[in-house]
Amino acid sequence: MPWPTQRRIIGTKVQRLDGPEKSTGMAKYSYDRNPRGLLHARILRCPHAHAKIKRIDLSDAEKVPGFRASHLAVKDNEELMFAGAEILAIAADTEEHADDCIRAVKIEFEVLPHLVKEAEALAAKRGTLGGAEDVTNVLPANTDSTDNFAKLAFEGAAAIHEGTYGVSIISHQCLESHGLVAEWDEKQTSLTVYASTQAVPRTATGLAATFKLKPTDVKCITPFMGGGFGSKFAADIQGELAAELARKAKVPVKLMLDRAEEVTVGGMRPSAFGRVKIAAAKDGKIQAFEIECYGSPGVGKAAAVNFGVLPYIYADSIAHKKKTNRIVRMNVQTARAMRAPGHPQNCILTDQPFDDLAAKLDLNPLEMRLTNLPPNDPDAVKEAPNSYLAQRNTIYRRQIEIVRKMSDWDRTWHKPGVGTGAIRTGLGMALHTWGGNGKGPNPTRITISADGSVLAQSSSQDLGTAQRTVTAIITAEILGLMPRDITVRVGDSAHGPSTPSGGSTTCPGTSPAILLAAENARTAFLAALAPRLNTTANMLELQTGRILNRTTNGTITWREACALLQAPVTAEGDWPADAALDKDAALARLWRQQLSNQGVGGVQIAEVKVDIETGVVRCSRFWTVQDCGLIINKLGCESQVAGGVIMGINYALFEECIYDRQTGRQVNADMEFYKLGGIQDMPNIHVHMMDMPERGVIGIGEPPTISTAAAVGNAIFNAIGVRVPIAPFTPERVLAALAQRK
Amino acid sequence: MRNFTYNRPATVEQAVGLLEARFGNAELLAGGTDLHDLQKEYIAQPTKVVSLSGIPALKAAPTIGDKSVTLPAGMTLAEIAGHARLKQWFPALTEAADQIGGPQTRNMGTLGGNLCQRNRCWYFRDEHTPCLLKGGDKCYAIEGENKFHAVFSQGHRCVIVHPSTLGTGLIALDATAEVQGPNGKRTIRLAEFFKAPTARDEREHVLAANEMVLSVSIPYTGLANASYEVRQKLSYDWPLVQVAVSFQGGRNGAPATQVKIVLGHAAPVPMVSAAAAAVLEGKPVNEENAVAAGRAAVQTATPLSNTGYKTRLLEVAIKRALYLAAGLPKYWEA
Repeated sequence: MPWPTQRRIIGTKVQRLDGPEKSTGMAKYSYDRNPRGLLHARILRCPHAHAKIKRIDLSDAEKVPGFRASHLAVKDNEELMFAGAEILAIAADTEEHADDCIRAVKIEFEVLPHLVKEAEALAAKRGTLGGAEDVTNVLPANTDSTDNFAKLAFEGAAAIHEGTYGVSIISHQCLESHGLVAEWDEKQTSLTVYASTQAVPRTATGLAATFKLKPTDVKCITPFMGGGFGSKFAADIQGELAAELARKAKVPVKLMLDRAEEVTVGGMRPSAFGRVKIAAAKDGKIQAFEIECYGSPGVGKAAAVNFGVLPYIYADSIAHKKKTNRIVRMNVQTARAMRAPGHPQNCILTDQPFDDLAAKLDLNPLEMRLTNLPPNDPDAVKEAPNSYLAQRNTIYRRQIEIVRKMSDWDRTWHKPGVGTGAIRTGLGMALHTWGGNGKGPNPTRITISADGSVLAQSSSQDLGTAQRTVTAIITAEILGLMPRDITVRVGDSAHGPSTPSGGSTTCPGTSPAILLAAENARTAFLAALAPRLNTTANMLELQTGRILNRTTNGTITWREACALLQAPVTAEGDWPADAALDKDAALARLWRQQLSNQGVGGVQIAEVKVDIETGVVRCSRFWTVQDCGLIINKLGCESQVAGGVIMGINYALFEECIYDRQTGRQVNADMEFYKLGGIQDMPNIHVHMMDMPERGVIGIGEPPTISTAAAVGNAIFNAIGVRVPIAPFTPERVLAALAQRK
Repeated sequence: MRNFTYNRPATVEQAVGLLEARFGNAELLAGGTDLHDLQKEYIAQPTKVVSLSGIPALKAAPTIGDKSVTLPAGMTLAEIAGHARLKQWFPALTEAADQIGGPQTRNMGTLGGNLCQRNRCWYFRDEHTPCLLKGGDKCYAIEGENKFHAVFSQGHRCVIVHPSTLGTGLIALDATAEVQGPNGKRTIRLAEFFKAPTARDEREHVLAANEMVLSVSIPYTGLANASYEVRQKLSYDWPLVQVAVSFQGGRNGAPATQVKIVLGHAAPVPMVSAAAAAVLEGKPVNEENAVAAGRAAVQTATPLSNTGYKTRLLEVAIKRALYLAAGLPKYWEA
C-alpha cells in the first residue's frame, strides 16, 4: 500500500470542507453548546503572585441570586504560586451571576514575596519563589561542551563576535479559550464533555481517571476547535472543575476561560536569553559557538524549557561548541508546549549571532549559510535514504536556491546599515527544522452506503488545520471520488483511539491509516459488488466516478454501483502495532519512511522597513520554502505555513507577557496591550511548498513558525546595521539600539 | 457585571435629571465601547445606566454655520471620519477619528464618548490593583510598567496619558464643547475640558457628575491643520504618541502664524505645547523649523523609567504633523 504514484487529488489545492460552516457560524464550538438547564461557572483565582489563604467564607456568595454550586480547588495550607492560581469555582444560572458570586467570596490572604522578572529571579536568594518542595529559583546550570573547547575553540579564528540575544515570555493566546461544557447522565455514571482540546480521546480518558469512571463512560466531543498551539492536551483544572460542578448541581455546566485567564493561565512559551560568542574562519566556516543562556518556564519545573540543540541547524557542522543553560523559575504560570517547543528560541539564539558574525567577516549571510549547512549523514544515506538526516544538506541547498530567486536576494540584499532616508529596508533569513513523527493508533473507519454516500470516521481532532479535509482527500483519491463526496466525522472519542494533535504529528499519523482504510474499503466494495455484476472482484476496476467491468467491458457509475449493494460496506485501517513495526524492518520502513516520515527543513526570508526616526518596524514581504514530504493538500499546507509566519511575525514584533514587579501580576492580560498584529500589520507572504512524495507524509504544524522571528531580527539588523538584542523588536528597543550606533 | 437599571430618556433634560451629584453610581451610555468593558471588568459598577440612544438631538447631522461647524455629541467616529467637508476642513479631527480602534469601535463609538472615556492605564483597568483612581494610595505606574504612560509626568500623582485623540485635534482647532447640567447649559473650551484625575471620585475631564456633552463646535478659521500618530501597529492599536497642529500660512516659505501644537498620549491631559508653537511662530514650516519645534516641545519633558523613547517620538510626530499640515512630502512613506 504505497501512496499512489498517479495522484488525482492528493497534492492539489483543496478548499477546506468546513469553510462554509465556519464562516456562517453553523459550526458549533465548545462555547456554542448550550444543553438544557446549562449553568455557567467562573473560577476564583489568586490575585497575588505568591500567597497563602488564611480564610475563605462562601456564605455571601451563596446568597447571590443564581448561585447553584461551588467546588474548592485548593488543599488546606496550599501555597498559591502565581497570580491566577485556581482557588474555587462557582456555578450560577448566568455568566454574570457567576462573576458576581466569585466576587462575593470573602477571602483573606497571607501575601508572600514573589519573583516575576527573570533577571531578578536569577539573582534572588534561594527560597524567595516559595513552594513546598524544591524551592530553588535557579536550577543548577547544565553545561555541555565538546572536547578541548577551551583550548581549540577560538584559535586562529578570522573573526569572533560576541553578543546578547533573547526573547520574552509570550502566551498562546488561543482565539477559542480553554474550557469545556460538562454534562452527566441522570445516574451520574457517565460524563460527556464538549471540550476545546488537541487530544479528544486523551481528554476523555483523563477525566475518566479523575472521576474513577470506566474509560468508555466518558465521551469527549470536539468537531470544531479554535486553536491550541500545544496548550490543550487535557481537560485541565477548569475542565475538572466544570465536571465537579455539573455533578454537584446535577445539570450541565459550561466553564470557558475569559481572555485574561486565557493569557495568564492558558499557557506560555518560555523566555530565552543568551550571551553568545561565535567564531569563524575567513571563508565564513564557523569553528566555535559558545552560549550562556537562561530562560524561565514559569513556576513549574524545568521540563517545559527545552533549549535543545544549540547552535540549532548548524550543530553538526560546527566543531567546537559549549552551552551553559540555567533554568529560572518564577511566580508566573507554568510553561506549556508551544508550537515547536524550544525551536524558535534556539533559532533566535543561533541565526541572529550568525548574521552578526557574517557582517564582521563582510560576507553575504546567505552564502555563509551555504558554507555552514550540516552534511548529509552518510550512515543515514545508507540506512534511511528518505530521512531528513540523509537529505538535509541537499534539502537546504535546494531551498536556499529557490528562496534566493523568489526574494531576488542577489539584487535586493545589501550590506548591513547601507541606505538613506527615514525608512530603511532590510532582508534577513533563517533556517529551521522539525521532527514530527506520526504514529498509531489512528483507526479510521470508512462506510460506503447504497445511496452512494461515503462516511469516514475517526476520533482524531481538527484544530482548524483541515484534518477533516485531509481525511476526505485521501478517501476520495482511493475511491475515485471528490473530497466533497466524502462525509467526515472527526472529534468524537466514541470513534476509538487516536493520537493527540501535537508536534506536527496529526497528518503523518492519520494519513497512512486513512489510506489503508480507503484501500480496504475499495477492496470490500468491489468484493460486494462482483456477485451483483456476475463477475469476480479482480475483473472490476474502480476508476474515477465509475466502475469498469472487464468481463463485459461495460461501466457503471459510482451511484449505480452503490445502489447494487445489499448492505453498507465498511472497512477499517490503522497502523500496525508498535511491537510489529519494531520487529519487522521492512514493515517499519514502509510505515515510517515511505507512508509517513519525520524531519523537515525550511528557510525563510523577511523584508522589513524600519522607520529610523520612530523605531517602528513593518514586515513588508516574506518568502518561505518548506519541505513536508508528500503533500496531501497544497492549499492547506500553504495556509499552515502562512499562519506560522504570521505567528512568528507577532513573536518578532509585538508579543510579550509583561509582569509587574510590585504586584506580580501580568499587566497586559488582554488583546489590547498584549499586541497581536492585524491584517494591515502582516506582509505579503509567498509560500513555496517543496513536494517530496518519496519521503511520505510529514507534519507541517510547527516548522513554519520557527525561523520567522530570527529572520525578522536579521532583516532589522540588515536594515539599520545594528542588532536589536531582545524580541519583540518594539519601537523603544529599536530606538535604543539605533542610539548605540557609531 | 453588577446588575443595573437601564434608563433610556427621550430628552437631554431627562438624561441629566437621572444623573447624580457624584461619579460612580450613575453612568451615561453612548456607544458602550468603554462603559461596558469597565462594567465587565468590575472597574465601573453603576447601579443606574442612562442610555443616550433615545435622544434624537444628539444624533443629528452636523450644523454648518457661518463661523463654525457644530457636531452633535452622538455623532459616531465613523461618521466623523467619513464626512467629506469635515475631512476637507479639519483633517486634525477626521484623521484621528479614522485611526481609532477597528470598524466596530468606530461604528459604535461617539464624539461625546471619546472625549469622556476613561483612561487605558493597565493598573487602573486591573480590578485587583488598588490604584489612586480606585481609592488606593499610590500610582503603580510610577515605579512599575509604564512604557505607554506619560512623558510629561512631573507634578502628577497619576501618570496616565489621556486616550482621546479627538480631544488633541479639537484643542488644536480651538473647539468648544457645549455641556448641559441641572442648571442649564455652559460652554467649555476643549483646551480646558480635560483634567488630570488624582482620586476615585474624579474623571479625566472637568464636567460635573451630572453634566453631559451636547455638542462640539469648531470655528471655521481656514487654518492648516493635521494630526499624526506614531503607531506600533496599523490595525487596532493606541498611538504611542499623537500630535495635532494648526497654523495660518506656513506653506511655501510663508510665515506660520497662530501656531498651535498639541501633544496626545504624552501627559494625563492632551497638552498644548506653547514652547513648540513659539519656536515656529512667524517662520515658514520647513525641516529646520519643524525639527526645532519638536525639540522645544520636549525640553521640559520628565519621562518615567520607560517613557524616555516617547520624547523622541513626540519630536518626530511634531515634525510629521507640521509636514502634513503644510503639504510637505510624506518622506516617511517610502
